[in-house]
Amino acid sequence: MTKTIQKKMSSFFKGGSFAIAKQVGLFIIFLFTIYHLRSKPLFAQTFDSNSYHIDFGNFNMTSGKKSSANYTLTDTVGQNAPGQYDSAGYIIKAGFQYLYDKNIPLSFIISNLDLNFGSLTPNIGSTVTNTLTISTPTGRGYDILVIANHPLQSIGGNSTIPDTKCDSGTCSESTSDVWASNSTYGFGFNAIGVNSSMVATGVGTSNYFTNSTYFRQFADNSASETAKIIMSESAPVKDHSALITYKINISSDQAAGTYQNSINYIAVPKY
Amino acid sequence: MSNFNLTLSPSQIEYVLKPGVTIIQAYDVTNNSDSFINLNTEVLSWIPSGTTGSVNYQQAVNNPSITFSLNNSDLQLGQSFNLPPKTKRQLVLKIKTNSNINLSDNYYTFFVTQNLTTTSSKDNISQASGKIGSHILLTVSDVQDPKVESAIQNFSISPKIKDVFFRPITFTGQIKNNSDFFFKINGQVTITKNDKIIKELILNSDNVLNHHARNFSCSDQNVCQLKTPLWPGHYKVNLTLDSSLNAKSYDTSFYVLPLSPVLFILLIAGIIFGMKKLNNPKPLITKPTSNI
Repeated sequence: MTKTIQKKMSSFFKGGSFAIAKQVGLFIIFLFTIYHLRSKPLFAQTFDSNSYHIDFGNFNMTSGKKSSANYTLTDTVGQNAPGQYDSAGYIIKAGFQYLYDKNIPLSFIISNLDLNFGSLTPNIGSTVTNTLTISTPTGRGYDILVIANHPLQSIGGNSTIPDTKCDSGTCSESTSDVWASNSTYGFGFNAIGVNSSMVATGVGTSNYFTNSTYFRQFADNSASETAKIIMSESAPVKDHSALITYKINISSDQAAGTYQNSINYIAVPKY
Repeated sequence: MSNFNLTLSPSQIEYVLKPGVTIIQAYDVTNNSDSFINLNTEVLSWIPSGTTGSVNYQQAVNNPSITFSLNNSDLQLGQSFNLPPKTKRQLVLKIKTNSNINLSDNYYTFFVTQNLTTTSSKDNISQASGKIGSHILLTVSDVQDPKVESAIQNFSISPKIKDVFFRPITFTGQIKNNSDFFFKINGQVTITKNDKIIKELILNSDNVLNHHARNFSCSDQNVCQLKTPLWPGHYKVNLTLDSSLNAKSYDTSFYVLPLSPVLFILLIAGIIFGMKKLNNPKPLITKPTSNI
């Protein structure tokens, strides 16, 4: 019986299979070692008994808020190396002044208010851009809405450049779609979340525009349309930006004239 | 190149008022740009929209029992004013309620709008403008803590197939406000295995407005998640809200299966078996040829 098993074993391991199994085994051990050596979060010291629980977040001599008629002072005395220290596995926030970053107020920036398209050439799309930047460190994020007073309209109001319907003919003020064809005419815009280096990330805008080839119409106040959200997030943010690209493409039948309108951006926090 | 660069503080205020009470709220508006700007103010009512904290101004109706005005001596609500570059101005909003006002919630936004600069360009131009708003949540009540009723709804756990490694387990759902007054979510999701607490996820104290629902989120991580790796087995989940919110707690459970380790072992066994097959090919069996 034993001889039979030995025979089967030697048959199995014949031809280098044993060496392969050994290498695979070593690889599995390597994977488990890497997994257990990964960085883990650290937590502040706590002390418990039956009658109390202390979260020890700060070791200092005195701290607090002092004020008089002319000043308000907050201090932490005796804190070793106050400030915030980041590393791969942990963040130390020493001293309590770091808490103030949560009190930064709601801020909204539009980088360029004059969106000048210059002169328009039929069948060649004209684009201009500007940037929206928002900070909402308190609360639960923000919504940015947009509405136009009317479509691009010639001075005197005799003719308009219609809002784009995109290449598919289906986009509207609440639905975006691809607009790349030179034979698709109209006026529309794209919004794409960008980082501080102006590289597209889609943060805040991906629910509204899949990528930079997607466009939609502006909501039209003159047609009783309501302002539509084009960028939003559900967490406090600091200096989150979106690049807005405005595009006009006219046909050779478009009446000559100077076309203008106004576009209103509205920034509100989430309640 | 002109731009819009405004800061408004505070970004939201929340008050419980007795009928007939008048309150004063100071706002700081800061022009962070390098140019003079012309601003205007307005207060618009809104209703909640969706379940993520958005608002809808179009379908809201103004409550005639609440009036807003500016208490600044030189400025009225709706009157435009100039703000020099890099300067801050305090706007003092007065909120007055009538004594016969209904006991309920009222929601508004205090807006500061930058007026358009007139362009006489002969170019094709779209003129952009900006508006920044701060929400006002008002509860009108005879008592400081009006009674609220709430419920947990649409609670779900994903993914459907839960493995010991890879994807974290995500908990989503909504808190419904069945009362006339808004409240802040106060509760936690507790995950236990064999009656031992594995994780307690504290819910963010988001506002849930009257007769509306709001998605819950978790503090520190926003999305409520139980991170892997997890031991295989049966896990119980309990979502409990603070007793003041008068909601039934929600209980459910899920199983974590060792799918990826089993698949990995099967894969390794398959590789070894395949290598063995390659190294020991079966001898070719040739049929004896017949001489018939």
